[in-house]
Formats: sequence, structure tokens, C-alpha cells
Amino acid sequence: MTKPYEPLRIEGLDIEPTVCARCGFCTFVCPAYLDTLWDSQSPRGKLYQLRDLIKKKQPIPPDFAARIFNCTLCGACQEICQTNIPLLRFWQLTRQEIGELDEWPEIVNYIDGALKETQNIMEMDQTDRTLWTDMVDDLVEDRLGIEAEVAYFAGCNISFKGTLAHMGENTIKVMNAAGVDFTILGEEEQCCGNPYFVAGGFEKAKELARHNIIKLKELGVKTVIFNCPGCHRAFAHEYPHLIGKESTEGLEFLPFSEFVLRLLNEGKIKFTKNYPHVVAWHDPCELGRHQDIYNPAREVLNAIPGIEVRELKHNRNKARCCGGGGLLKGTDPLMSVRISGRRIEEAEKTGAEFLASECPSCTMSLNDGIEHKESKMKFKDLSQIVVEALGL
Amino acid sequence: MIDKKHFQQLADIVGEDFFSAEGYMTHLYSHDIAALPGIVNDVMNTQAEAIAQPTTSEILSNLLKFCKKENIPVIPRGHGTSGYGGALPTKGGLVIEMTRINQIFHINKGAMTVEVGAGIIWGKLLEDLEEEDLTLAAYPSSAPSSTVGGWVAAGGSGIGSTKYGGIREQVVDLEVVLPDGQIIRTENTPSDFFEDETQEPFFKGDEKLQYAADVYNETDGNMTSLFVDSNGALGIISKVVLKVIPLRTIKPLLFSFPNQEQTFGAMQEILRLSKPYYLHFITSEFYGMLTEVDHAPSTQNEWLVLCAFEGSEEQTEDEAMRIINAMKMYHATLESEEIAHHEWDERFYPMRIKRLGPSLAPSEVYVPLNRMDDFIDHCNRHFKGERMAIEGAVNNQDEVAVLTWFLDDERRRIPFLFGWYRSLDVINIGVKNGGRAYSIGMWNVAHSSKFYGKEDYTKMANLKQKTDSKGYLNSHKVFPGPLYLSTRIGILIMLAAGFIVPIAIMFAWWLIPSVLTAYVPWIVVNNLTSFLVWFIVGVLIGFVVQEFVNLIPISVILSIGTPFLRFGRKIFH
Repeated sequence: MTKPYEPLRIEGLDIEPTVCARCGFCTFVCPAYLDTLWDSQSPRGKLYQLRDLIKKKQPIPPDFAARIFNCTLCGACQEICQTNIPLLRFWQLTRQEIGELDEWPEIVNYIDGALKETQNIMEMDQTDRTLWTDMVDDLVEDRLGIEAEVAYFAGCNISFKGTLAHMGENTIKVMNAAGVDFTILGEEEQCCGNPYFVAGGFEKAKELARHNIIKLKELGVKTVIFNCPGCHRAFAHEYPHLIGKESTEGLEFLPFSEFVLRLLNEGKIKFTKNYPHVVAWHDPCELGRHQDIYNPAREVLNAIPGIEVRELKHNRNKARCCGGGGLLKGTDPLMSVRISGRRIEEAEKTGAEFLASECPSCTMSLNDGIEHKESKMKFKDLSQIVVEALGL
Repeated sequence: MIDKKHFQQLADIVGEDFFSAEGYMTHLYSHDIAALPGIVNDVMNTQAEAIAQPTTSEILSNLLKFCKKENIPVIPRGHGTSGYGGALPTKGGLVIEMTRINQIFHINKGAMTVEVGAGIIWGKLLEDLEEEDLTLAAYPSSAPSSTVGGWVAAGGSGIGSTKYGGIREQVVDLEVVLPDGQIIRTENTPSDFFEDETQEPFFKGDEKLQYAADVYNETDGNMTSLFVDSNGALGIISKVVLKVIPLRTIKPLLFSFPNQEQTFGAMQEILRLSKPYYLHFITSEFYGMLTEVDHAPSTQNEWLVLCAFEGSEEQTEDEAMRIINAMKMYHATLESEEIAHHEWDERFYPMRIKRLGPSLAPSEVYVPLNRMDDFIDHCNRHFKGERMAIEGAVNNQDEVAVLTWFLDDERRRIPFLFGWYRSLDVINIGVKNGGRAYSIGMWNVAHSSKFYGKEDYTKMANLKQKTDSKGYLNSHKVFPGPLYLSTRIGILIMLAAGFIVPIAIMFAWWLIPSVLTAYVPWIVVNNLTSFLVWFIVGVLIGFVVQEFVNLIPISVILSIGTPFLRFGRKIFH
């Protein structure tokens, strides 16, 4: 047991609740606040309550701990903050404090157990890691665990959830079409540790991080491709922080859109087919606000002949969350789906045929939102659009 | 105070989901943007007892009727983004937060007006109007989080006010729920509304909760105007009809100047030659603080003036050229378009420097533009040794709404308490330099009469007296109210007096025994019984003192206390 608020204190963030200007700018961009309109759910309200607790060195009470997890970690509060409080890190460390008080929500403890037991969040056998490759078996059978400069890291969601497997399949098809020499880790791929980063269980993620990096380096990999922004963020931003910058030296981590853009620029693929569709683009929080990556997907879409890309009212750094981040889907699924529904309402207003993004979590949430709202809007992952436009 | 039996009834009126009396929740709704010295919260009863979020004007009406009948203090609240104490409880009570009445009811493109719920956020309204190629003529710098009703109630000027005036000039009509629950439209309400018993408001509320209204027999003038700036003391604004303008080009220019004289001379020249949409300055000290937090633009000089024009592309270009040429004689440097746009985007972010505090002691006052030089010199002399940032935006009456920010640290309780005098002194310095208070709320009640004008203030006072004689609705705001010591402090005073009296008697016997023997030999403390007797006498004296203090208006306490705070700050700074 550490001293109260030690995680925040170590990084000098225990002063931040006092730095908060209480202007409330964070409230009307916060999905949890907008869902309830109670200040107790807003970043401002939570900071106000934490300010007093930190001052009095009192532990976070269980009901407040639960509210801290009523948050998608979308980072909209950090983006709009008047006093530049690094809120994303702040919430992560506050969750770490909650973990150290043994007050993690049940779902986090379940995921923790699953990761310890099976190295994946689905609690499935690691031998099933390659189930997603069934439809592209012929393209990957010689790629498992081989040495190559490019690796594809599927992540737990794509690996184990059948409804998301197409994202992996599409990426393989594109790599194959571009003649990329690539490898996949298969059973040696373990969870990237993102659930731990989201829950503030940093120490628990160390082993997973080290394993993944060692396996990639053993195969001589230099570039790792991701469909999942959560995995990408874990490798690109959390690993250097967690296991040292030297651990990721010599490795490049690319989200799918950036990879496709590179293939286009290098002339390895080319869109020639007309693709007469109107698409609205949703920026995933973990790619956009968390990593400042907004343009590659738009550039890829704009390179497709016949396509019309429309922006949602809240886009880029002001994009509203899909509702799927921060483990909210597990801690408060109803709130999560209502948030998704609101994003769908916004997408409907663009008049686009379908909403597109590049994130397995957004894919699940936005499809839930469509169902919740009984919307006629369709959702397509970027990889699907790319594959269709290439005629693969 | 709210009787516990009333909680369920309040929840029934507003709806269970929109009512809370939980401690952590009431704590969150018992403050506004300003950090107050800890002792203020210790002394005053600023803790709300329950929160209600009405969803319709009718529910709000029923809430007020119930609260008036049960004499439950009510504090209306937008989103708590002001710092004048207008939304602070003073004797517990029910906070009514308006953010759920947040619809856009009607956009009238013919009359160029929009009707909205008072709880809508300015930022959301701006976004939605843009979809109709419309925008607001003026909005507050707190637009990303403040409510329309909040600004109408608090008053003031903001972005766009240099050209189009403050919030007072934007309001066409209001729907107001009066303290007795009646709902009126101010535009359609004849000025003799309070005289005419037969006049029917369009909604009379739930009959079960309908109470006999007082007979109003005197009011005059424009009803809309009377409710703007009234801080919710006369009624709660539930809907607002605002002016809108076509969405046109905004062209920001940023000039930097080498010194104060050139800055204010140039600003006067800008107003002589044109009518900018927004004219704003920051001092070199503010610039220095922005540099420390890595938010200062890379400019030639450190006195900055942002001048934004609004209109057609041609108009804005013409006006911009005229000003660019005129600024040469003021040694101005025209900064790049990119920097100008960055500063325009920063118009919502005056508190970037708070991190340096980590607290800020703010103050705001209107000062005539032609007296700004004197005002700033006066402040620099008066607040020597304090780290003070000053900025200001001009309204349409050539007045500057000056915001001063003093860096401070609320965790250092004593220096922070004494530092409170600065916020009060800035206003006094502004007034001495021909200015006036920016907003009244609770802390500036001493300025009410001058702020509203004697005639309007009398009308407001009459209205308050006739509709809310017990002062249950937002007491202490606009009109002076007595200090309500918290129960904790009351008990503390009585106990302290209980001990002080017998100890003082013992001390007196040691110091002047002959005097006591000669005149009051019966005043003696020589055993436990006599100690207890005088202890009880002390407690009673403490009770009387406490009751006496409870009669003193807060504004008087602030006036008396300011010199002590000023002195204390000199010692503890």
C-alpha cells in the first residue's frame, strides 16, 4: 500500500485539481456529463471533489471511484482545458490510485484475471489467436512467425471477435496486393496491455509489453502495422514510458491509414476504380486527440476516385467520442450506448451513406449506436473501404 | 434551511432523476468559478442542501410556489461560471440549476431573433446558429460553458460588444418565473402588470400548488430591461429571445506596441476611425505570464491589441486597411495573420496563467477608455509588489471591461484571505477613475444603487418587496442582506464568550482588585459553581453578539473589513 495519491504526487499532478479554473469548458465536451447533465460526472466536478480529498489526504470513496470510471478517456477535457491540465494522464493515475485502494470496478478485475490467465482480454486460449485468419488462410499460412521487416499486430478484439475479423483480413489483403513482405506473431502475440493503461494498472502491463517487443525484435521487425488505435497508442506512447525508450528504438508503429498512405505514395497500390459513395469520417480518440493523427485517413479517402468525404460537426480534435473508450462499455454499458447513439445522430446530419472510422472499439460502439437509435446509417471500417475501392 | 420532509416533495415536483440532496452533489453546486478564502465558507452558510434541475418552465413555476410557501431559500444557477457570488447560497437552501431547459425553440429569420431555453450553452447556440448561416451579435468569453440565462442574469459585455453592445442590447424578450410562480413574458407584459389584478399570465401553474399572489400595484418602465442584470433576485429567467445577425467574415488584426501610452492612444484612434466587432488588449505583464506558461504569441512587442472586424469581406478588408495605416503613428507592429487568428481563437482563454498561481484573485470593472492610462498607473502604485495581469475589452460605450488577475495560492489560507482586498480595491480604483462595477452578484452589492441607477434600483426594490418580501429567492444578491453565520461559527462564538467572561473576571481581580471590591464585589469567580454561572452568562452574551452580527449586511462587513485585509496582506504577503 502506497501513501495516499502517491501515483499523482510522483508525477507532480496532485496540484492539478487546484490549478483547475472551474470554468467548466470541459463539461460540455464530456460524454459522461452530456449523458447525465450532473456536475458530479464532469471533469470539473471530479477535480473539485479530488481537490478536497487530496488536501485532506482522504481516500477516494467507493461511489466516487465508480464515477471516475464513468469516463471514456476520450481526452476532450484535456483538449479544451483552460489551464492545460494533462487530464488524460491525470485520470489514468487517479485510476491507478483506485486500483491501489482495491476499488477497481468488477469488469477491470475480470480483465485483470483474464490477462493474467490467458494473455488476452477474452479469456480465450492463445492457440485461437489466429482464428481471424480463416478467410485469408492462403495469404497468411506462410507468414506465421517468419522473419520480416513488417509485422501486423491484430490485437485482442480483431483476433477473437468474429465481427471484427474482417479488419485483419482486409489489412492482409492490402499488404498482399502491395507485395509487402510481412509477418504475424500468431500465438506469440499477447494483449498490448492497453486495458491496464486505461485502468491505471501500469505495472501489470510490463510483462506483456516486454514479451511483445521481444518477439517482434526476434523476427527482425522494423515496422508494425495496427488496425487498433489502442494497441498503436500502447506501443508508441505507453511502452517507452513503461519499459524505457530504448525498448522501442528501431521500431516504427503505423496505424492502418498511415500505412496505406505510404503504400499509395510509394506507388505500391493505386485506386483506379470509381467508388461513388458519400462517407462521413469519425476520428477515433486514441488516434486523434491522444496522438494527434488526423490526416492520413482523410488523405487515403480523398485519393479514392468518386468518393465524397463529409465532416461531422465535431471533428478532428473536437470530435465527440464513440462511447467505447476508457472501459465504459464494461463499467456502464447503457451510458456507453447512449453516447454512441448521440454520435450516430450527429453522423446522420451529414447526409452521408455511411460513417467510417479505423478502430475496432469505435466499430463496435458505433454499430451499437446505430442499433440503439434504429438508424439507417451504415458503418464501414476504413480497411473495408480501401479493399472495396481496390477491388480486392 | 430545508426541512427533511420537504426533500421528497421537491423531488416529486422536479422528478426524481433531476433532484439530489446527496452531500457530494450539493458540495459541487455550492461554489462558482471564484476560489473563496476558506474562512468565507466557515463563516457563511454557503452549502446548498439540495439541487433541482427543472426541465420545463411549468415545473420551475411549481418549484418556486412550493419553496415560497415553505420559505425554502432558492438560488438560481446557470452553470456556475461567474465569480461575483450571484449563484452562491447564503443560508443553505435549494439550488435550481437551469441547464436542462436548453432547447432552441424558434429561429425567426424575418425578425432576426432566436428563442432559447435559458439553460442552453452559448457555445452550443453559436454552433447551431452557424448551420443556419446566422450568429450572435455578442456572446461572453465564457461561451464554451456559460448559459444564456446566466449571462442575461449576471449582465456584462463580451465578444462582439464593441460593435453590438452587451447582453442588455441583445435581449428582445424574456420568459420569467416570478417568485410566486407566475410565468410572464416581459415584452408582452404591460408596464402596469403589477397593478392589474385581472391581467392573466399565460400559465398559472398546477392548481394544487397555486397560492394567492400578492396584489402588485406599482411598476413602470421596460420589463425586459428590469430583469437583465437582476441576478435572479426578481425571478428566474426560463426563456430568452435574442437578436441574431447574419454569419459573416471575421477579420482579426493583432498589433503589438512598445508601451502603455501608445497602446491606449491607438485603441482610441481605432474607435475614432472604425467600429470593430471586438477590441481587446493585454498588458506587458500579462504577456510575461503567458510566456511563462508557453502561451504567449511570438510578437514584436509585449503590449497587444486584438482588433477584429465583422462584416462582408469587402467591408472588413476596407476597415482593416484603414486601421493598419492609422496605426503606423503609434509605433505599432502589425503581427502576422496566423498570430492574429491564434489570438482570436484564444479569446475564450483568459485564465491560461492560472497555473502560475495556482490560484487567481480576479476582479472586473468598467473604466472609460480615455482613463485607462490613469487606472493602470493607479493600480501599479496601489498593488506594488503584487503580480498582476490586466486585460480588457471595449464595449460600445467606449468603456473597457477590465479584468485584473492577481497570482495567488489558495492553499496558503491566511495570505489568500488577506489578498481578497485586491478584488474589492480594483473596483474602487476603477470607480475613482470614472468607472463603474461590472456586475453586482453578491460581492458588489454596495455598488447596486449606482450600478442600476437610483430610479431603476428603486423599481427593482419595490418589485422585490412586493413579490418576495421574505427574500427567499436569491437573497443577498442585488439587495443587501444580513450575514447568516453558519451554525458552527455561531456555537463557536457562544462557547468562546462562555470561556472569555469568567477568565476576564479572574484577570480583572488580579489586575484591579480594589476597583472590583469597591464597586462590583459580587462579580467574582472563585470556585467551579461561580465559573459555571459566568460561563453561562458568557454564552448568553455570545448569543447576543452572534445575533447582532447577523444583522450586519455582508456589504458592510466587506467595507469595514477591507482595510484590515489590506493591512494583513502587507504583513503576510
